[in-house]
Amino acid sequence: MGFILRRLVFYFGAFLVAVVINFFLPRMMPGDPVDAMLAQGARFTAEQIANLRLTFGVDQPLYQQFFTYLGDVFTLELGHSTFFSNMPVSEVLANAFGWTLFLTGTATILAFMFGATLGIVAAWYRGGKFDSIASPLSLVLQATPQLVFGIVVLFSLGVTWDLIPISYAYDPELTPDFTSWEFLKNVLLHAVGPIFCIFIVQLGGFLVPMRNNMINLLNEDYITMGKAKGLSNIRVMLNYGARNAILPSVTALSMALGFVVGGALVVEVIFNYQGLGSVLFNAIVNRDYQLIQGQLLIMTVFMLAFNFLADVLYVFLDPRLRKGGK
Amino acid sequence: MGFINLLTRNKKALFGLCIVGFFVVISVFAPFITQYDAKKRVTKSHVPPSEEHVLGSTRMGRDVFAQTLYGGRVSLAVGFGAGIIVVAMAVAIGITAGYFGGLIDEVLSSLMNIMLVIPQLPLLMVLAAFIGEVSPMVIALIIGLTSWAWGARVVRSQTLAVREKEFVVAAQVLGEPSWRIILIEILPNLVSIIGASFIGSVIYAIMTQATLEFLGLGDPTSVTWGTQLFNMQKTSAIHIGAYWEVFSPIVVIACVGAGLALLNFAVDEIANPQLRSHVGLKRWKQITAQKEAEAAAQETTAQQGAAS
Repeated sequence: MGFILRRLVFYFGAFLVAVVINFFLPRMMPGDPVDAMLAQGARFTAEQIANLRLTFGVDQPLYQQFFTYLGDVFTLELGHSTFFSNMPVSEVLANAFGWTLFLTGTATILAFMFGATLGIVAAWYRGGKFDSIASPLSLVLQATPQLVFGIVVLFSLGVTWDLIPISYAYDPELTPDFTSWEFLKNVLLHAVGPIFCIFIVQLGGFLVPMRNNMINLLNEDYITMGKAKGLSNIRVMLNYGARNAILPSVTALSMALGFVVGGALVVEVIFNYQGLGSVLFNAIVNRDYQLIQGQLLIMTVFMLAFNFLADVLYVFLDPRLRKGGK
Repeated sequence: MGFINLLTRNKKALFGLCIVGFFVVISVFAPFITQYDAKKRVTKSHVPPSEEHVLGSTRMGRDVFAQTLYGGRVSLAVGFGAGIIVVAMAVAIGITAGYFGGLIDEVLSSLMNIMLVIPQLPLLMVLAAFIGEVSPMVIALIIGLTSWAWGARVVRSQTLAVREKEFVVAAQVLGEPSWRIILIEILPNLVSIIGASFIGSVIYAIMTQATLEFLGLGDPTSVTWGTQLFNMQKTSAIHIGAYWEVFSPIVVIACVGAGLALLNFAVDEIANPQLRSHVGLKRWKQITAQKEAEAAAQETTAQQGAAS
C-alpha cells in the first residue's frame, strides 16, 4: 500500500509542476500576459480584454494570483475560449475528448495486441526470416513520424483513390445518433484512416520490447526445463515465455494510453478530425491562450492517471511486488 | 575505436550510416547540386517534375528540389544540435545523480521523473506558442531542454551499476578526484548507452521539429522540411494532386528516420549481445560447415584406404 501512496504523492507533485509552468509561462513574457497575447496577434474585443485582465488578476501580487489560479484549476474554471465563441474551455475540451479517446484508444489497443503477438513469434524464431524482416521494419516504422503516415494515407487512400473520407468524424449532413447503424457505419468509415496511422506508428513500440524481453527470458533455465519435460512448443512459448515477458509490455500499454490524448494530435489535424488535437491546433493558430493552457493541463492529468494505473497494474501482475518483499 | 569498428561491421548499422551520411552530404553540398535559390521564385506555380525542375515547383514557384536540399541543412542541424544538447544534459545529470547518490540523487531523480510524465509535445507547443514564431535554433534549444529526462534515467542506472565495480572502488581508494573518476573510469563504460540515446534524440528532434513547423508554430520564412510541409498544407497541394510537393519532404524525413533507426537497432545489439541473433547463427553455420568438411575428408580417406 505504501508504494501506491508514494506514487500518488509523486503524481500530485508532477501535476503541481505542470500547473506552475502553466501559471508562469504567460507571466514571463514581456509586459503583462494580456499584452503578450495581443502582441502575438490574438484578436480580442475590448470587453474580452477587460475580462482577461480580470481573470489574470494582473493588479494583484504574484502569490495571490497564483493561489487564485490554483483554485480555478481545481474547480475546472479554465477560462473562456476566444476562438470557440467564448465557450468555457472545459466545455470545449469535454466535447472533443470522446472523439480522441475513441480514435487513439482503439488504435493503441490494436497495436498492443498485434505488436505483442508478433513480438512473441519473432523472439521464438529469432534469427529466422520473419524476425530479421519484422524487427528492423517495425523499428523503422516507429521512427517514422505520424505526420508522414498521415499525409501518405490521406493522399493515396483519401484523395487519389477516394476510398476513405478526408475530413471530419462523420458526414456533416448526418445528425449524431449513436443508436442508428447508418451513423455508426459512417463514424467507423471516417475513423479508418486516422486509426491506421496511429496504429502503424505504435506497432513497433510494442513489438520490439516484447521481442527483446522474450529473447532474454528464453535463455533462462526454466524454459529449457519446460522443453525437457516434453511440453509442446506453443505451451512453452505462451505459458513459460510470454507470461513473464509480457509484464513490461502491459505497463507500456498503460503508459501509451496516457499519451492517448496528446498522441493523435498530428493525425487529427491532417484528417481534420474534431478531437482534442484539432482543438489544440485551432487554439494555436488563433492564439487562443487559455484554451492552449487548458489542453496542457488535461493532457498532463491523463498522462499521470495512466502512469498511476501502470504502477498499480505492475503491483497486481508481478507477485514479487505484491508481497512487499525487497 | 572498437565501438566504431563494431558499427561498420554490422550490416544494419552500415546501411543506416550510409543513408544518413548521404543526406548529410547532399544538404551540405546543396549549392553544388542545384543552381536555384530555395527562397526565390524561379518558375510558374505547381510545375510538375521536369528536367529543369527535378522535383517540380511549389505554389509560390519555388524549386522543390532546392528547398528539400537546403531544408535538409536546417532540419539535420536542428536534429543533431538538439541531440547534442539532450545527451550533454542527460549525461551530466545522470552521472551526477548516479555517482554522488544521497540527496543529490533524490532531487535529480524526482526532477527526471517529473519531466518524464509531463507530456512532451503539448509542452513544446505551449512553449513555442508563447515564444511566438520560433526560429529553428530556438526549436532545437527547447527540444533539447525538455527531452533529456529519459536519457538521464538510463545513464543514471548504468552509472549506479558501474560505480560498484572494483576498478572504480580502487580509484577511489587511491584518492583520485571525483571528476577524474567520472571522466576517465565511468564515462567510457557508458559509451554505447550514450550513443543509443544520442541517435534516439536526433530522431525525436527531427520528427518533432517537422511536426511543430507543420502545425504552424515555426518561423514560416525559414526553409526546412517542416515549413515545406506547412506551406504544402496551406496551399492544399494534397487536394490539387501536387504529389511532388507532398512527397519530397516526406520521403526524405522517412528515409533519415529509417537510417537512424537502423543505426540505433545495431547499437542496441552491440550493447546487448544476447539480441545479436545472427552471430550465433553464423557460428552454427561455421560449425556445420566444418563438420561437413570433416565428414567429407573422412570419407575420402576411407575411400583412399579402400582403394589402396
